[in-house]
Amino acid sequence: MFQTRNFSRRRVLQGAGLLVGGLLLPGKAPAQGGAKRLAGVTLNVSTFSAPFPKILIKWLPEFEQLTGAKVVYDTPSFPVYNQRADLELSTGGSAYDVVNVTFIYSSRWINAGWLTPLDDFIRDPNKTPADWDVDDFLPGLRAPETGKDGKLYGIPWSVDTFISAAARFDLFKDAGLGFPDTTDDLFDTLKATHGKDKVAGFVTDNHYGWSFVPFLQAFGGNVFRNPPDDLTPVLDTPEAIAAAEYFARIVKDFGPNGAISYTPDQVVKALQSGRVNYSAIGQTYLAQLGDSGSKVAGTSAFGLAPRGPAGRFPGVAVHGLGIPAASKNKEAAWTFIQWALSKQNTRRALVEENLASPTRRSDFESPEFKTSSTINGYDIAGIVRESIDISAKGGYMKYRTVPVYPQVDQQLNKAIANIASGQLSARQAMEQAQAGSIAELKRAGVAL
Amino acid sequence: MTDITDIIRFRSGNAPLALRWPTQRFLVRVGLHVLVAVLALMVLLPFLWLVQMSLRPEDEIFSDAVLFTPTLENYRALWQGNFAGSFLNSLAVSSLSTGLSLLLGVPAAYVLTRWRFKGRARVALWILTTRMAPPIAFTIPFFLAYRVLGLQDTVWGLALIYMTFNLSIVIWFMQTFFAAIPESLEEAAWIDGCGVWRAFWLVTLPLAAPGLAATAVFCFIFSWSDFFYALILTRTNAMTAPVAIVNFLQYEGWEWGKIAASGTLVMLPVLIFTLLVRKYFVHGLTAGGLKD
Amino acid sequence: MPGTLSWEASRRRAYLTGLVPALVVLAVITVVPTLFLAGASLTPLSLVDPASLFDFSNPLRNYAELLHDPRFLGSLVMQLQLSALTVTLQLAVGLGLALLLNVRSSFFEAIRTVFLIPMVLPPIVVALIWKIIYTPDVSPLHRFLDFVGLPADSFITSASTALLAVAVADTWQWFPFTMLMILATLQMIPNEPLEAAKIDGANHWQTFRYIIFAYIRPALIVSGLFRLIDSFKAFPLIYVLTDGGPGSATEVTNYYAFVQAFNFSYWGYASAIAIVLLTGVFTLSWAAGRLGWNGDEGE
Repeated sequence: MFQTRNFSRRRVLQGAGLLVGGLLLPGKAPAQGGAKRLAGVTLNVSTFSAPFPKILIKWLPEFEQLTGAKVVYDTPSFPVYNQRADLELSTGGSAYDVVNVTFIYSSRWINAGWLTPLDDFIRDPNKTPADWDVDDFLPGLRAPETGKDGKLYGIPWSVDTFISAAARFDLFKDAGLGFPDTTDDLFDTLKATHGKDKVAGFVTDNHYGWSFVPFLQAFGGNVFRNPPDDLTPVLDTPEAIAAAEYFARIVKDFGPNGAISYTPDQVVKALQSGRVNYSAIGQTYLAQLGDSGSKVAGTSAFGLAPRGPAGRFPGVAVHGLGIPAASKNKEAAWTFIQWALSKQNTRRALVEENLASPTRRSDFESPEFKTSSTINGYDIAGIVRESIDISAKGGYMKYRTVPVYPQVDQQLNKAIANIASGQLSARQAMEQAQAGSIAELKRAGVAL
Repeated sequence: MTDITDIIRFRSGNAPLALRWPTQRFLVRVGLHVLVAVLALMVLLPFLWLVQMSLRPEDEIFSDAVLFTPTLENYRALWQGNFAGSFLNSLAVSSLSTGLSLLLGVPAAYVLTRWRFKGRARVALWILTTRMAPPIAFTIPFFLAYRVLGLQDTVWGLALIYMTFNLSIVIWFMQTFFAAIPESLEEAAWIDGCGVWRAFWLVTLPLAAPGLAATAVFCFIFSWSDFFYALILTRTNAMTAPVAIVNFLQYEGWEWGKIAASGTLVMLPVLIFTLLVRKYFVHGLTAGGLKD
Repeated sequence: MPGTLSWEASRRRAYLTGLVPALVVLAVITVVPTLFLAGASLTPLSLVDPASLFDFSNPLRNYAELLHDPRFLGSLVMQLQLSALTVTLQLAVGLGLALLLNVRSSFFEAIRTVFLIPMVLPPIVVALIWKIIYTPDVSPLHRFLDFVGLPADSFITSASTALLAVAVADTWQWFPFTMLMILATLQMIPNEPLEAAKIDGANHWQTFRYIIFAYIRPALIVSGLFRLIDSFKAFPLIYVLTDGGPGSATEVTNYYAFVQAFNFSYWGYASAIAIVLLTGVFTLSWAAGRLGWNGDEGE
């Protein structure tokens, strides 16, 4: 098979081949055609659908050529992935060899012992070469992937940082307005521009347990009283209700038709085609406004998440690749993770595919990233870095990694949908979410 | 017992009702035809929309143009992806489950028709009742059991749970077919020295062959169409086509062309099979027949 | 030829060999899981803690909790609304079309086949078709409404229309069932009473009300019950169209049990919900049996 590949493919392979072959076969010559250590192994990999997995899937033939393994890479949508992976891990299933350690499940999965600690793989020079350099992954991103035992359970592949973008910034400018910095600015701007040129004002990911919380905190509210020590939900405070009211209103009044059904993929498509103007979600998605298929690359503007009365609270979500405790192919799984997140491949994803969510310090600080993440003159890398700094200072992302967050997350999804669809007032919806969350926490055995 | 064949053939035993009503027969007749044709078109429209969408080129999906140059690009893209595998899984699971259900269900149906034992009606009703249970009731225990038995995400595991509905379908459908075959033929075979099952094999089953074929098709369609069990009990190895469709819907960035093409492909075998057994259709529906 | 007695005995044995395997398998795959489900509903079963499978310390805890779970109680209301809506719509549309199509001509027989199509489609494809119709970007319906100057909000994200939107999709798929059942019965109505009514000068309505309706009443009841039982299993439409939303506007009991079991792994709790559903369905099946849908009662 190797011989049938054309020249350019082979050239690409050589670089990666030197790397993987070298580390797989210490003391032997770099990969030759026959050196397929994992021949006959089928690796089942699953993460949620996102830009980086799409790139990896594209590159899979290279991994398969190098190692002889066959990779089945499944990428469901975010909620479906989480549901399946949680089910699979909680029942000790071995359907997956490599999984995504989802941010909001990390504590639940790691501390229940459902994942394999990776330290032994990383330390073993036969399994990992020194220059793979685990310390190159930003410490703040490794933290949520680390268990109470201090061991590392996932290698970060994505950091999604909450920023904002206006796909049709020209409409804002035409109305004599700048890029909105505060939640009040945002409201006024949307009010002035919604519907102009048939462009709706605002759209966001209907996973409100993620997309609403930066607004909740900006208004001075929070999810839990003091996570992770005091998990009493505080969703019915006046601040939380005001935030919910504000947020549901911009979703409803300035959104496209059917706004509360929009998933991140749809949000991106709506922005790229110029049907909707403004969104505040993760940069992994918003950076796609600069893609070749986008109609708005020339009219886009980017900025920090909007600031509210209580300050600015950009969310940060980290996702890592991990190995289920029940996997039957752990070594091969590690080989895959190592290949996927090798320095060469993460850099290549930046350069060749404009990937906007590096997790290695060396990538973050590289001139390539600065170039690839500059869209229409806006330095997204800089905005992301600033957001991470703000987030790191407060430590307020702790709410997301408590084991019961997934249940509370769904309460928030429902609360915002209930308000935006006019079923409940903000107060009723948030009181319901509060009561529902308390019931869920009790069912999960959390002492309040 | 209702004479099933009457219903099956849609035989209009009586003069058509509408035409017996007196006024302006001709005009009424024409109006009726037009009305019905329009209604049929309206009913078909959602279905046709899906099919035309699967043939649209990608950049025409959102366009308002009625006319476009049809392309098979969406189908080609599907076939190159993992969809073909799930299609084969569907085929394997449906065939396996149909085969097993026939193997067990056909003799049971025969016995229930011929053997007048006490409590027979009760057994028959119990069998039918199992089909009424909401799938969620079976899924929870099956899911937990399959973890232990290693049947999770396997074709066999899925085929087995499909028997929860297929077995009762076979037993009920086949009973009416066997009932239509005169017992005297079997009795003649018995007198010639055949055992019960030999007579069944040589005499009864060949006569019931069309019914058997129709029943098999029904089992196949029901298995093919299942979504809920497959969603929960499969992951990658045994994923069936209906679950793969949802993957397109949720995972692949809303590629409507591919979504429509996968939907069209999944309904195609069902449509073909239905046309084949059209005349047994009502029979299948009434499952045991209306009481006179 | 064997003597009568031993022939009877051997025939009996042969019958048993034919019947027992099917019954045993059916029992193993339906009765055993149901018993397990009933048992699990009395425990706080969670897979994180395997010992919880045998924790019968407070057997009724799940049921007690159900009584105070607004989401569950809401789901029951939703379920009843959806069932009432779908059954009514399907009976009405089915009856109307059956009366319209009860004509003997090759044209009408061909058209009947066309009306059957929705019913045989896999439910997931039906869900897909309606997802397209209800998604404003690609929807022919929304385009039409925009064109005639009546733009509408997306039907599946508006609380007041979401349930109706699901019911309409379900009706589109299942009206052929009620239609066929009624049509089959219509065709069995003998001529004499109709002739007699005509001679007595009965008008259309009277003929329908006193003669035709009397004949098709059992078919209406039976097909209605069939649809009612099936409406408790509604899944693919809700899964694809609304995911139980907006908020909880389409979260029926079946869907809630699914969420509790397969999203949150509250197995004991989900089992209790499933038992409640099962009880409801069996009660209905029993009623259906009493009202005579199975032909075997007359023995």
